[in-house]
Amino acid sequence: MKLTDEERSNLDGTGGEPLRIATQVLVKLGDSYDAERLVPIASAHLVACSYQIAGEAGIDVYARLVEAGARVRVPTTLDPGSIDFVRWEAFRTPAHYAQRQLKIAELLQAMGVIPTWTCTPYYALNVPRFGQHVGWSESSAVAFVNSVIGARTNRLAAYVDLCAALAGKVPYFGLHLPENRRGQVLIDVAAQVGENMRGEDFAALGYFIGGLVGDRIPVIRGVRDASVDQLKFLSAGAASTGSVALYHVVGITPEARTVDEAFQGGTWEDVLPFGRRELQDTQDRMSTFRAGKVDVVGLGCPHASIAQIEEYLRLLAGRRIHPNTELWVCMNDVVEGVARQMGYIDRLEAAGARIMTGTCLNDCPLDAWQFRHLVTDSAKFAYYTPTTVGSACHFTGTAQCIEASIRGYVGEGHDE
Amino acid sequence: MSKRFRGRGCAGGVCEAEAIVALEPFGFWQGIDPASGEIINRRHPLLGANLAGKAFVFTFGRGSTGNPGIFLEAVRNGVAPAAMINVRAEPMITLCSILAEEFYGLRIPVIDRLEAAFYATVKSGDRLRVDGATGEVEIL
Repeated sequence: MKLTDEERSNLDGTGGEPLRIATQVLVKLGDSYDAERLVPIASAHLVACSYQIAGEAGIDVYARLVEAGARVRVPTTLDPGSIDFVRWEAFRTPAHYAQRQLKIAELLQAMGVIPTWTCTPYYALNVPRFGQHVGWSESSAVAFVNSVIGARTNRLAAYVDLCAALAGKVPYFGLHLPENRRGQVLIDVAAQVGENMRGEDFAALGYFIGGLVGDRIPVIRGVRDASVDQLKFLSAGAASTGSVALYHVVGITPEARTVDEAFQGGTWEDVLPFGRRELQDTQDRMSTFRAGKVDVVGLGCPHASIAQIEEYLRLLAGRRIHPNTELWVCMNDVVEGVARQMGYIDRLEAAGARIMTGTCLNDCPLDAWQFRHLVTDSAKFAYYTPTTVGSACHFTGTAQCIEASIRGYVGEGHDE
Repeated sequence: MSKRFRGRGCAGGVCEAEAIVALEPFGFWQGIDPASGEIINRRHPLLGANLAGKAFVFTFGRGSTGNPGIFLEAVRNGVAPAAMINVRAEPMITLCSILAEEFYGLRIPVIDRLEAAFYATVKSGDRLRVDGATGEVEIL
């Protein structure tokens, strides 16, 4: 790798131990992918900020870096942690566990990070522009920032994201190079599906694509329109079942005004049709139970927007949720603050919902709840909660999720 | 009789270990318990098997960018795989090895792009010699 004089002296330790470690990790990673150099980044987003992911190893690593005087060099936001920092007791998080998370928070903040604790940093506080190089982790946010905004990042990961933040650079390879952003697989969405897609259809489309394309770049043709929230659902689905870091939606995402532009004048390796049957099959596969009592309904994965909260309130229509069912709405602090000013938080709580910020059902310990049946509109919750929460999962639309929270069950059954 | 295969060495180190093979994508976050090294992903065919000290053969890294966090915790607990052999090593898998060396001084070879015959031949329980510098794998 060709390094600048400054980078070389950082490798020698002249810039201090944190910069030596950061540069060393970035150069090794770059060398193994034939990167020619490091490139400056506009921002970073870190994933190993939750105790569930970082564990005691994370505390070791961060303590060592803080001790050596580490400071981030670019604006650096944080993924969800493993506790709701305000309400962790109400969420039955064990105190020793919360304390380890608070220790991680303290160490990371000593390095100058912005404590956003969210998987949707692009809703506020970390919004790059088109074409900018960034160093992000969080699989759903990486897919979003590459695809929807058109900023450029590889899927960074735990700790290398912090190395990128400390050095303010990443190795220049993979999706940082325009030619590597070319589409590889065409996803042909049938007109009857693509004409009018709901959020859950985008989630299923992502889940379908990720399972089939792996880490290749899909180009989706035939989607008439998509909101930012719907693209967020698509990003999270594709990044859960696969390693999709970039996708194009023809006519919607910025590097795909046409099919030809998305494939950079080339052609595709495969075509995958996505019609009514594929949509139905995928949505069926995403559920591990069809009918029964519901212990918890999980919304806001990735973290909810104001528009989604408005939708939940509209669907609740002033009704209260079932006494034996929990409704958890996950969002970030910024959205919660604004929603509170708008009276939305009070209205959600009056309906019996719980607001969860700074974490989500996938990231915090829920053993004390003994949830057996979870209902969600999120592809990512659908994929992971059978393991993270240990519950069976029923995937359905946002409207059906709200109904499930009110009735206390899904599928055919009797009202109690 | 031993068989040798050549691939690309992505991260260094040499080890001899028992193979554990599942030719499908793998993610460590919600894939293993970092306290024990046991596979906990309920969708995985090797659910309940233990990766500790094994040469883990899989297709490529999947899912969460939190994977190296769980991996490093497994390293700290002494239950990480001894080697990783992929069809196509995505950066996150190589990174797991780089971090293990940087923070815990442990070298875990990562190799990918071996001849197709390797993936068709290797079975769980085979004894492997893995050289992350040369990219060579030997079935002993």
